[in-house]
Amino acid sequence: MDAPGFRLIAWASRLVPPARRADWRREWEAETAYAWRSLRRGGSPSPLALLRLRSRILTCVIDALWERKETMTMTGLFNDLRFATRSLLRYPAFTAVAVLTLALGIGANTAVFTLVDSVLIRPLPFRDSERLLALGHLGREGQDQLPISEGLYLLYQKQASSLESVAMYGPTVVNLVAEGEPERVPAQSVTPSFFEVLGVQPAIGRTFTAEEGRPGAEPVAVLSDGIWRSNFGADPAIIGRTVDMNGTAYRVVGIMPEGFGHPNREARIWTPFVVDPVRAPLAAFAAQGIARMAPGSTLEGVRAELQGLIARLPELFPEEGQATFLQGVGLKVNVLPLKQAVVGDVGRTLWIILGTVGFVLLIACANVANLLLVRAEGRQRELALRVAVGAGRAQVLRSFMSESLILAALGGGLGAAVAALAVRVSSGFVPSDVPRMAEVGVDGRVLAFTGAVALGCALFFGIFPMVRYGRGDLAAQLREGAGRGATGGPEHHRLRNGLVVLQVAMALVLLVGSGLMFRSFLALRAVDPGFDVEGVVTARVSVPSGEIAGRLETAELFRTLRDRVAAQPGVTAAGLVASVPLGGSYAFGSIEVEDVPRGPNELPVFAAQNRADEGYFEAMGIPLLEGRTFQRGDGAEGFRAVVVDEAFAKQWWPNGSALGRRLGRNGPDDEWWEIVGVVGVVRQESLEAEPQPTVYFTTTMGPAGSPAPTRTLDLVVKTAGDPLQVIPVLRRELRDLNPRIPLSNPRTMQDVFDSATARTSFTMAMLGAASGIALLLGLVGIYGVVSYIVSQRTREIGVRIALGASAPSVRRMVVRQGIALAGAGVGLGLVAAGAMSTVMKSLLFGVSATDPLTYAAVAAALVAVAVLASWLPASRAAGVDPSTALRAE
Amino acid sequence: MGQLFSLTYPTAAVLLAIRHGHRYGFDLMDATGLPDGTVYPILRRLERRGVLEGTWEDEAAAQAEQRPARRYYRLTRVGEASLAEVTERFPALVRAFEAPERA
Repeated sequence: MDAPGFRLIAWASRLVPPARRADWRREWEAETAYAWRSLRRGGSPSPLALLRLRSRILTCVIDALWERKETMTMTGLFNDLRFATRSLLRYPAFTAVAVLTLALGIGANTAVFTLVDSVLIRPLPFRDSERLLALGHLGREGQDQLPISEGLYLLYQKQASSLESVAMYGPTVVNLVAEGEPERVPAQSVTPSFFEVLGVQPAIGRTFTAEEGRPGAEPVAVLSDGIWRSNFGADPAIIGRTVDMNGTAYRVVGIMPEGFGHPNREARIWTPFVVDPVRAPLAAFAAQGIARMAPGSTLEGVRAELQGLIARLPELFPEEGQATFLQGVGLKVNVLPLKQAVVGDVGRTLWIILGTVGFVLLIACANVANLLLVRAEGRQRELALRVAVGAGRAQVLRSFMSESLILAALGGGLGAAVAALAVRVSSGFVPSDVPRMAEVGVDGRVLAFTGAVALGCALFFGIFPMVRYGRGDLAAQLREGAGRGATGGPEHHRLRNGLVVLQVAMALVLLVGSGLMFRSFLALRAVDPGFDVEGVVTARVSVPSGEIAGRLETAELFRTLRDRVAAQPGVTAAGLVASVPLGGSYAFGSIEVEDVPRGPNELPVFAAQNRADEGYFEAMGIPLLEGRTFQRGDGAEGFRAVVVDEAFAKQWWPNGSALGRRLGRNGPDDEWWEIVGVVGVVRQESLEAEPQPTVYFTTTMGPAGSPAPTRTLDLVVKTAGDPLQVIPVLRRELRDLNPRIPLSNPRTMQDVFDSATARTSFTMAMLGAASGIALLLGLVGIYGVVSYIVSQRTREIGVRIALGASAPSVRRMVVRQGIALAGAGVGLGLVAAGAMSTVMKSLLFGVSATDPLTYAAVAAALVAVAVLASWLPASRAAGVDPSTALRAE
Repeated sequence: MGQLFSLTYPTAAVLLAIRHGHRYGFDLMDATGLPDGTVYPILRRLERRGVLEGTWEDEAAAQAEQRPARRYYRLTRVGEASLAEVTERFPALVRAFEAPERA
């Protein structure tokens, strides 16, 4: 007999756990049937009464769900987790080791992922940033990396339809004078389109108008949020007022939002990049270019269109000699997605480090898996009991999984905390050439990553007990396992041994990696930079033309400063140079060699150039090989002397002396400069890069009639004592000369040298830490397995000793087992490391990626560790008392 | 007496209704005026705690009416004891149940 509502009840009953289902359904059906009968007994029921009954029957779903929930909490997942927690708490040492191991592994991964995500994966913080491009050029088959010129900027701006807007920017530093105190402030000069290209609105006020980017406009400036707060008290009324920069009054028109900046957040003030539309030079590549693609354009489309414009240069600028020159160098446009240009080559290092910590995590997981297997054995009796009282296989396996989940969750939580701390602490150690560091932080994405990694770990090491107990007759396996003299079965040994072999192999790969990095680091430190690092300080001095307009006065100020510094007690030498070695900047330029005249269609010789004067080579400890260094009276306005390095001298005059030969800068008609000295080779660009033949000009250049001084020079001071104590003296001397010119970026040459090795030492430190952990975990892994084997074979060892085996022979036997495991791991690891050597190659310096010494040393170290790890259990085995061993169990 | 179950107003209402002779699930919904969906979970919980006891009614009686046997609830000794607390804490509720009886 079916009453209305029975179908619903039947459906809802499926929610009810099977044990209660029949009774539950019967009760509801009885109530419903009774209710319908009562309702109909009084004649035809009112629609309201019908509705009330139907809605009452509907509540059976609530009741069914309640039953389900109640049963779930009693026997389901919740119960599993509660049980697992209790059982983990029963073995606090095991739990602590497992959780800490995981926290270390997951924490390291989270920290490095944070870095990788912020630097490499996340889009740039600009609107539709995938449409942003970096515009550059290549000349002479890619030999010259050229940014953009004003002429090409105007051309692209006007003609390229695949680009929505184009902008130029260049770094500069301004002398900001506020309340009498001069301050050197990093700034950028940008075309008005800069903000439009990046798609950023000012927080207050406006950015630049197109007119403000043309000659003759009033000087205006946009401030960063940072400087607005620190120097102007976050006063919005600053808009419209003027500030004194480089001796000129600039009207502040806007404040940018916090965190804005490109390519980094260093610039604190922006001023217009003034381009003269009439006289913009085509071939002076003086600024960086960025652009925003028009909607629908592609990278290839932009590339093709711009290359097409370059091909038409002679036609577009018929009267320009520069257009033909650009054709001559084979100018090619170099368009990259902006993110790729910003990130540069740091990606490889970061991915390798992420791979490294990934390995550490795998090793950690293998360790935990091994621990879990050991524990599963210890629990065989308990498990057998559970199966005996009716727990199904699924339930037993679920309890293993619950433990894994809890361990991973604890490890993940602790790991996230470790990572947050590590990111905070380590941001100071990350080499300064890693881009986008200001954007790094732990956020939701990173936490999602941590969660995923932790879950992956739980699945990874939770699977091993499943493999072990997941097949065949569980009860039989457990009965057998819990019986006397259990050996765990060969299959089980294989599983655990396999895990240890894998651990050792991965540890070897990491150790090889860090060994190679260490050797690179040593090689890099051993490079002779060509100058003396000890006791040398350097600081930058910039004289803006707004401050001292006169050319001779500027040169005179530098000279006086140098003389006054050189006369200080404790200072043994002082000099000036356009850019100190390894300081981040180096220049190339064309040179004419008088002895080697070039034909009309020949390109000029390119050589590295620097500018220095009296005292520089002495202060820097650069050896003089021939002739003399600069002295008073050398310069564009006096004796036009140049100094070349040994490489340049050898290149042009391999058999004779370079002294007395003459060089020119601006074509064969220009005045000649005479070589007065030859000095040692200096690593100017970086420690890794082979030095380029270099020419040193004096700090005043140009025609003898109107010499042009270099307005920004690095002061180099050699001291007898502590170099840092000289810095206040330098400040004082400069202030005495002109209080409106600040001394910027004072540092020792040792600092400069250290930061040149920073990326290598950072990578080395990361790999070193990772492989140290890997080695430790490997040691624990081998120890665990060998002691387990010993404990399983106690009876057998007892028999051997009873039969006359000596203690050393027993010890040897056990240690051999450890060595066998390590040997297999080392073999596998060597193959893996060899296969991965190509990945490492780009990070290495002065050592081959397959350096046999490193490989051999690491392999030997791992075998030694294996001996060490098996020694303790071996001693235990050797001390077995046969009578006890045989009686046991 | 230890806290065997939390004595909420709905729970008290269900206990009193049973005390006053309402024994079946649907009848208890009518007698207590509680929302239909809340009554069965209360019955289930109280039964599990041993406050109530569920029993199937006589098959023969149900057969005579051509319907399945219903399940009815009665107070256990624990349930009877708990009524003292109900009386103490919800006197108005007790009065409300007694009123129609007098009428």
